[in-house]
Amino acid sequence: MVTAAPQRPPGPSAIGRVTRSAATTPGRLSLVAVLLLVLTAVTGIVTALTAQAKRDTLDDLVAHREPLATAAQQIFRSLSDADATAASAFLSGGVEPAALRTRYEFDISQAGTALGKASADVGGDLMAAEQVEILSQQLPVYAGLVETARANNRQGFPAGAAYLREASGLMRSKLLPAAEQLYEINYDRLQAEQESARSVPFAPIALVVVLLLALVVTQRYLTRKTNRLLNIGLVAATASVALTMIWGTVAMVVLSSHVGDAERGGAQQVDVLVQARINSLKCRADETLTLVARGDGPGYEQEWQQLAATITGDGQGNLLRQAKDLASSDAMAGEVQLAVQNAQAWADAHRKIRELDDGGQYEEAVKVAIGDAPDSAAAAFGKLDKNLITALNAGREEFFTQTTRAGNALTGLVPGIAVLAIVAAAGITFGIRERLREYR
Amino acid sequence: MRGAAMRSVLLTLVLAFGVTACASSGHPVDLATVSSVDRPQPVGVEVNPPTTTGAATQVPPCDPTASLRPSTNLPQPGAMPTGSTMRAIQDRGRLIAGVDQNTFLFGFRNPTSNALEGFDIDRVRDVAAAIFGDPNKVQYRVITSAERIDALKSGEVDIVVRTMTATCARWVDINFSTTYYVAGQRVLVDRASQITGIDQLGGKRVCASKGSTSIARLRESPAPPEIVAVDNWSDCLVMLQQGQVVAVSTDDTILAGMVAQDPNVKMVGPRFTEEPYGIGIPKQYEDMVRFVNGVLERSITGGSWVTSYNKWLAQAGDRAVPPPARYRD
Repeated sequence: MVTAAPQRPPGPSAIGRVTRSAATTPGRLSLVAVLLLVLTAVTGIVTALTAQAKRDTLDDLVAHREPLATAAQQIFRSLSDADATAASAFLSGGVEPAALRTRYEFDISQAGTALGKASADVGGDLMAAEQVEILSQQLPVYAGLVETARANNRQGFPAGAAYLREASGLMRSKLLPAAEQLYEINYDRLQAEQESARSVPFAPIALVVVLLLALVVTQRYLTRKTNRLLNIGLVAATASVALTMIWGTVAMVVLSSHVGDAERGGAQQVDVLVQARINSLKCRADETLTLVARGDGPGYEQEWQQLAATITGDGQGNLLRQAKDLASSDAMAGEVQLAVQNAQAWADAHRKIRELDDGGQYEEAVKVAIGDAPDSAAAAFGKLDKNLITALNAGREEFFTQTTRAGNALTGLVPGIAVLAIVAAAGITFGIRERLREYR
Repeated sequence: MRGAAMRSVLLTLVLAFGVTACASSGHPVDLATVSSVDRPQPVGVEVNPPTTTGAATQVPPCDPTASLRPSTNLPQPGAMPTGSTMRAIQDRGRLIAGVDQNTFLFGFRNPTSNALEGFDIDRVRDVAAAIFGDPNKVQYRVITSAERIDALKSGEVDIVVRTMTATCARWVDINFSTTYYVAGQRVLVDRASQITGIDQLGGKRVCASKGSTSIARLRESPAPPEIVAVDNWSDCLVMLQQGQVVAVSTDDTILAGMVAQDPNVKMVGPRFTEEPYGIGIPKQYEDMVRFVNGVLERSITGGSWVTSYNKWLAQAGDRAVPPPARYRD
């Protein structure tokens, strides 16, 4: 590193000597050289560190923040799906179908794994730590209740239904809100980190500008003192500082643009889709639980009505339509359009279920809800969920690509800044020494 | 590459401060402290809920078991008299019955067949058979104990058959059929429990269903317990099995259904109330009351009551005798 140390005369009376020598032109020139070198060193270090920090933030976005937000989302999805699946299995009567059992088991393992990953990250965030604690304490309790319900069901005891109700109540009152909050915290952190990646680095900009000004002023001073138009060393120094500034600015603009794309087409798109998925999962659980409660659960149907408005219809609140507007590619828009259609098909099936159930045809209603006919609610929901997963993955892909590109914009910038700073320092040293020689 | 510059800066800082900073006070750090456990609870559970049964209004004294006398001949199924309540039901094509799906032996969902079954459900099927000639033309609407009166008053259901005790207070709002079963309140505890009756429940957590007569009786007990009110009786069994209450107190028939599901609980103490079960019918439909009473009378003389009793309740008590019908007119 370039430092001012060797140029500074040693000894206790250093300050006095500097003040005295500043009174003479050569002394003043030496002092200016020292100050310029210090400023160059500081600017080089700060700028390089800033560029490195940006790079680290972008790497962290791809390697940690986004995967963790996804893990949090997966916790919610798995838990909500487990709740709906347990209710469907109960509705199917007798020994539950193997497919539903497998699905439930898969959901619980997935939730556990995602929870493990999410909990490794909460360190500093008290709110997130609290949610993770609720989830890790209550998940085994939930699974225990479901198994007790199953054991009772197999013996034909209605206590099984009571255990299942308790399990579902626990899921809806504690686990799901905690999972939703954890996702929101993670998404906020993702957004904050994107913002910090995009933020304008004021400190290095100010330093570069000051350094440039200082170099220009020094050259004008020298021109006046020596009547020589150009000083090769100082011109080279100025050029390399200017180059640093241009390079940094271009890199920053490119980076911002990619991070912006990652935000719109990636993170925001994914967030809207996640909200749509969360609501569709809640709707599915409401639909099956209404039938399990057999008229004793009006709250479920009300919630269905509220939430269904966010995934169907022409209103502003339709998240799928919002997702379509945010779509970054035609393929993505097409997938979301399919989701819109399947959501509509599901809403139709749901209307049919309610008509049948309210009209006294409970068994038929159950068939439409959980049967495998192509126009059943189960089929429409399954298709919608697939569309949402595909679109979500496309959104994640977009996020990854754009963020990686943003990182690539910084390629070579850190060593580049170091080299340019050394060139500038050499230029300053060379240029001023030239002039000093003329005074010997 | 990642964080190389940062690391060097950090290293310097650590070297600078690390030497001077000592470890804080010498205790091992415990990262995972759990001070209390949140036990799962049935949805809608309340501890010591305020009394809601309208104690303010004066209830006229009455004989709650006495209902309206049926006409001598029941109309033929599918030929209900024009203008009658039964005709409206026949025209609709189904009877809407408020029932329970959580009380073993009386009204419960058979997890194997998905169908509602039990002694109460058999009563509903008798009524449907009398109207349509088909016991399956029923739309079951599951309601909680607390919802029974409102469901009838709002006209949401035609009848309520849900272990419902006929009381004078309820007669103010709705009509009852004649008594189709007489239960009595008892206490259910763990097999290992030392409790032998209601007088030992003072201050202890006891479970009962919201809006039931059982909950009112527990409040009046000389040794009032801490009442845990739930929506469904099976929630009480869950809480007893989970050790969250020490006892359940309600009609012995309902308790017998719990004993049948769990051999580790037992009923203790004598019956301390008499609960005459009646079918609830909206206040304004007296023709329906007389019709239902006729159906009950016929089911008793025709033997379907006894068959149903033997199927569901023979294990609970040994009184295979149908309660005598009493009429107020």
